[in-house]
Amino acid sequence: MFEILRHPLRAGSLAGHTALGVPVALPAPLRERAGDIEVLGHALREEVRRLFAGSMKLRHLDLGSCNGCEGELNALLNPFYDVQRFGIDLVASPRHADGLLVTGPVSRHLEEALRLTEQATPRPRLLIAVGDCACDGGFCAGSFAVAGGLAAIMPVDVRIPGCPPHPVAIVEALLAALGQAHVRAMLKG
Amino acid sequence: MTSPGLFPLDVALRGIRERFADAVIDSDRTSLRERTVVVPATRLAEVAQAVAQEWSGTFVTLFGLDECAEHGRYRVHVSFSMAPEDAVLTLIAAVPADAPRYPAVSARLPAAAWCERELHDMLGVTAEGHPDPRPLVAHDGWPAGTHPLRKSFRASEPWDWSPRFRSPRVEGEGVFEIPVGPIHAGIIEPGHFRFSSVGESVLQLDVKLGWTWRGLEKLAEGQSIQRGTELAERICGSCAFAHALAWSKAVEELAGIPVPPRGRAVRTVAAELERIANHLSDLAGIANDVAYVVGGAEFMRWKEVVHQLADALFGHRWLRGVCVPGGVRVDLDDTQQQWLRSVLSEVRTGVGLTSRAVLANEAVLDRLTNTGVLPLQVVRDLGATGAAARASGLDFDVRRDHPYAFYKELDFQVVRRTAGDVKARFELKTDEIFESMNLIDQLVNRMPGGPLAQHLGAMPGDRWGFAMVESARGLLSHWLRLGPDGLIADWRVRSGSHALWPALAQSVPGNIVPDFPLINKSFNLCYACCDK
Repeated sequence: MFEILRHPLRAGSLAGHTALGVPVALPAPLRERAGDIEVLGHALREEVRRLFAGSMKLRHLDLGSCNGCEGELNALLNPFYDVQRFGIDLVASPRHADGLLVTGPVSRHLEEALRLTEQATPRPRLLIAVGDCACDGGFCAGSFAVAGGLAAIMPVDVRIPGCPPHPVAIVEALLAALGQAHVRAMLKG
Repeated sequence: MTSPGLFPLDVALRGIRERFADAVIDSDRTSLRERTVVVPATRLAEVAQAVAQEWSGTFVTLFGLDECAEHGRYRVHVSFSMAPEDAVLTLIAAVPADAPRYPAVSARLPAAAWCERELHDMLGVTAEGHPDPRPLVAHDGWPAGTHPLRKSFRASEPWDWSPRFRSPRVEGEGVFEIPVGPIHAGIIEPGHFRFSSVGESVLQLDVKLGWTWRGLEKLAEGQSIQRGTELAERICGSCAFAHALAWSKAVEELAGIPVPPRGRAVRTVAAELERIANHLSDLAGIANDVAYVVGGAEFMRWKEVVHQLADALFGHRWLRGVCVPGGVRVDLDDTQQQWLRSVLSEVRTGVGLTSRAVLANEAVLDRLTNTGVLPLQVVRDLGATGAAARASGLDFDVRRDHPYAFYKELDFQVVRRTAGDVKARFELKTDEIFESMNLIDQLVNRMPGGPLAQHLGAMPGDRWGFAMVESARGLLSHWLRLGPDGLIADWRVRSGSHALWPALAQSVPGNIVPDFPLINKSFNLCYACCDK
């Protein structure tokens, strides 16, 4: 283990290096915008401090996702994005959560699980649709086996489109949502 | 050379001719790699058993098709890989529409068990004498007689969906049940696991999936090839490229389109990048589940690097929109190739360092060794493939045995272990990551020139194509038939996870309940790949 720890000491730590350095010679549209996560994340931390006394706990709920959105939610916790440093964490129980991160087009088989989980979440709570499927059914829209998005079942507070949305886009959307009047009113009410 | 051992397909065909006089060997099928044999439904199970157990066929898939309107029958396909020969043997049986039942293949060939359960849910064709005839995809609440893949099924009809969690009870002194899921504690897909245990030891594990079932095979009916490609890569997020590749190969086989060398080479690079990302995620999961958090974070960091590579080179972190029937849509120029190689060499150093550190830790080894042992016999019986099966000693890899893309021209090892425990799976996946990097290295050295894709042109109607690829989880097959209008008529998908879930359930009994998450992570199977 000490070998692993020594390596970053030699090669430098990841803090502040949120994106892979892409050579300038590569075509511009393919290059990742570096540093966005730092700017957005610290702004988000301020909002979380104001609205959630410093820590916003979210519970993930897969309602028929392909596992792409799960991959990006997991990426939020990896050492590159590490959203825990912005006061955001994903918790194991809906009873500990300030909001639900819902992925997938809401498969009919999971409708009941959605209702039970939603009922178990204390108020006020944010209902966040992550990914195209959760927003409006995405590529699964039209299938008889899905409800076609979270909004078909219950009112959604925040929508984060993308197939799947980039981790930075998720942070960006959360930041934008916490600035919206109706969300602030709900959280304070 | 005419030694029978080298040509298992001929041996099997000769055997079928001699022993099953009523089987008809079809010579119409033009594909060099697939031969079809029409057998009476009443003898399907016998023939399938002989192919698998006497003539060294590896079970690939079993599925049904609705041909009631045209021919008054259902059609059941059972396919076998005839590795080491690059050939596929498909048995076809007609089941009458008015009496949709036949003697179960699973009664003789356990590998077909989940396929035949799904066949009943989807088409209402009953495999009689099935050892476990419970529904697979259909949850409680499905009205009787609802079979979505029947052509007569109308999706618009009102349907009372009221699933209720219900599982068989295990009773006895000191036996208790632990229900887990479908909603789990982490960022994971939904599945229901029911442990029957005494004390801490698991007696039996029942896996109930189907929660994320989206009916994609039905949704694709009547859609275009282009739409089909998009749906295929949305079956599973982690195996998106493998699905797009298998789908594209099925279309190409059906239409007889050759893929230009550069297209094949770029496909191979992307497929191996996807494998590296998936295996890194498995290694991270294993490290995290034994509370070796430093290792877990390191592996996740390298996985993120691979996704950013994919994003920068192919325009998508999960490699969607790259592979299309006929070739690929994205090129890799020289600068990109060199950069890819230099980043991967950093990843190689980092992953090697972390893997060695994990395996040098006594506390970790204590958790990994002899945990979740999957015996080779179970692998064979259940037709399991992929990394988890190779960690138990199975010598099968689609990339070598049914080469596609650029694999035939490359030099690589099919890594194996024999212990079949979590440690073996950890070591094997580490080695496979290095093999994948080795493959990409070779490609960067000799990337062929020329076009990236071949135009599809007019699609021939009424044809079918079948393709297999090695996804990160194992053998993935796509079967596709186009209607006379050139639109999708039938589409059947079977993933590596579909074969591995029953094997996983066999590796858990005898272990303690707290080791289940670890065993589960060491397989790291897809739920969405199964649920479609």
